[in-house]
Amino acid sequence: MVMRLQNVMRMPDVIDLQNVSFQFPESEKPLFSRLDFHVKQGEKVVITGPSGCGKSSLLYLLNRLYPANCDGILSGSVTLFGRDASEYEPGEINKRIATVFQDPDSQFCMPTVEEELTFTLENAKVPAGEMDQRITAVLEETGLSDFRHAVIQTLSGGQKQRVATACAWIMEPDILLLDEPLTHLDPVTAKEFVAWLNKLHASRDLTVVAIDHQVALWDGFFDREWQMEAPKQERPQVLRQVSSEAAVSLEVHELAVSPILSPVSFSLKEGSIGVLAGPNGSGKSTLLKALCGLKSTGGSVKPDRIGYVPQSPEFLFLTKSVREELAFGGGSNVDQMLERLYLNEVADAHPFAVSHGQKRRVAIGAMLCDGRPVIVMDEPTAGQDAAALQELESLLVEQASEGVTFLIVTHDMNFAARVADQVLLLREGQLTGIFTPEKVWQDEKLLCEHRLLPPAGGERYAAVASPHESFC
Amino acid sequence: MRQWLHRMNPSVKFVIITISMITMAFFFNPWTPLVFFFGVVLFQLAFAKVSWKIWGLMMLPFLLGAIGYFWTTLVFGNDNADPIGTALSLSFRVLAFSSLSLLFVFTTKPVDFILSLMQQLKLSPKIAYSILVGYQFLPVLKDEFVQIQQAQQLRGIVKPKSPVKGILAMRHVLIPMLAGAVRKAERTAFAMEARGFTGDSDRTFYKRVTIGRTDFWMTVMFVLLVLISIYAGITGPAIQK
Repeated sequence: MVMRLQNVMRMPDVIDLQNVSFQFPESEKPLFSRLDFHVKQGEKVVITGPSGCGKSSLLYLLNRLYPANCDGILSGSVTLFGRDASEYEPGEINKRIATVFQDPDSQFCMPTVEEELTFTLENAKVPAGEMDQRITAVLEETGLSDFRHAVIQTLSGGQKQRVATACAWIMEPDILLLDEPLTHLDPVTAKEFVAWLNKLHASRDLTVVAIDHQVALWDGFFDREWQMEAPKQERPQVLRQVSSEAAVSLEVHELAVSPILSPVSFSLKEGSIGVLAGPNGSGKSTLLKALCGLKSTGGSVKPDRIGYVPQSPEFLFLTKSVREELAFGGGSNVDQMLERLYLNEVADAHPFAVSHGQKRRVAIGAMLCDGRPVIVMDEPTAGQDAAALQELESLLVEQASEGVTFLIVTHDMNFAARVADQVLLLREGQLTGIFTPEKVWQDEKLLCEHRLLPPAGGERYAAVASPHESFC
Repeated sequence: MRQWLHRMNPSVKFVIITISMITMAFFFNPWTPLVFFFGVVLFQLAFAKVSWKIWGLMMLPFLLGAIGYFWTTLVFGNDNADPIGTALSLSFRVLAFSSLSLLFVFTTKPVDFILSLMQQLKLSPKIAYSILVGYQFLPVLKDEFVQIQQAQQLRGIVKPKSPVKGILAMRHVLIPMLAGAVRKAERTAFAMEARGFTGDSDRTFYKRVTIGRTDFWMTVMFVLLVLISIYAGITGPAIQK
């Protein structure tokens, strides 16, 4: 270890940013200014910072997507491998610096894994005769040989990220950039991906620069963390108590969608927040849609009008302004609702033009104006950073204390630990049960079976419970 | 033998089919397109593996179109010398053209076609890969379309019964879908560039799409078919004296 550290110390800087400022042409002030950032060969660095501080843009300066693609204004010096970044031809640097992006669904351009790998090689003008051998080698190295002819669209999120990494790996780069590669994976898959990457990395000691806001998931993969900007003060958890006399606001009886979902019965009290969790394909989205009266095949739900907020809230939007959007269902208390959801300043803006957090507020507002005090939300936490999660959390807590009942699908147990009154676990189309959050965090078997990880503070609970082996 | 049409070089197939179509357009009589249509069907029987059930379904709208042409020309046409002949010429032409297009669609893999266009006809990789990416997006967009429709149903949008209103109501679904597609397209473009894609035409190709003997023989077959059809048109009896 000491030897290795000494080696690192003597290594030259492969990335050397001095006094760098960057600004989008359409914005008035720079995204970041006077930044110094150095990475030595062989180092593994994670960049952290609050959302909007320009982490992704910084990464794009390193693989030369910026400034050319956004006409950004750049000052200071960006030196890559001892040469000024602007001296590289288009595409030249990408042979030495490879990138894995966050969205598994939009970083491929060919149907199958093999074709996707050849795309990288063809870009690098590798002679056709060498390609087959290199593809076979990289597939073996990454353990993806069985997927050579698989259609990428049919793979799971975790598999797609491995394929994306293989596509970077096959270029034999000196630096690997990771742009929040875990965001769209469920926690267990994310951990598996990190373990896989760790093993892969052991065979070729290259430099890694990553962005991620869940450093804990990486299990000490990185040599150091570089804070681009100090994190904002974390707000204390708002404590909320659902009164035991509260009326039942959602009553589900034997609701079924054959063959995906076996009959499900449960109820939620007014002003409570329920979290619905379970592995991918366990029927969570199907249950939500059935609750809203789409495609159920039996059973009953009370009330019959339930609000639904999809992962992309804009799927709901039908009008040209936020105010009209809220009023669409014929609600009368629009002004009051705009006030309550802090939407006054954007009341006349087009609902597509507001921020993601505001879009979600608009969607919830529209549901409430329609007279739907029970709201189900499909994965609102996916791909959200810490700040966005906090905004979502305060929104939920505020609305719940006004008597709105929520049922939220999420994999993020840290988030669940902060807001949930009840946790509903779903597996293979069957409701395992309704639990109090504490009970779920203590039960390793339950967590394991539903591919969940306990929240970061979960060890606290685990210590109280009797120590037991992992069951799966 | 059964695979010859599938094994043909897509660009060669594309060129020969285009030339056949243009040639057909110069011959206005019932016999040429009729013989050509049967020839095309025969080709698919002999040299291709085609699901005839799907073929039949795909041909159905064209068949209806052909009947429509026949009927309207017969009733409303102002060619008094040979109304049936004109009507038949038009409707057979519809059949000949549509069957030929379907032959291409049924025997060509889209990815191979694009690769071949890049390699043989020097299509710019920028355009070629844009088409390939678009093709990847189709299933995703289809899923999104359904999701948006369901979400909007919840807000009280009722699926209109009349098709005209249905198409107008579609814009509510298309706007969120396109907004999402633009973002997705930008992300994909970034991912492609980060992997060294520049759009330069001097790239190497793993899969060489080649031109071989099959292409030569199939080209000969197509030329023969066109010539026979033309001959049939010249010597064929008139429909009405």
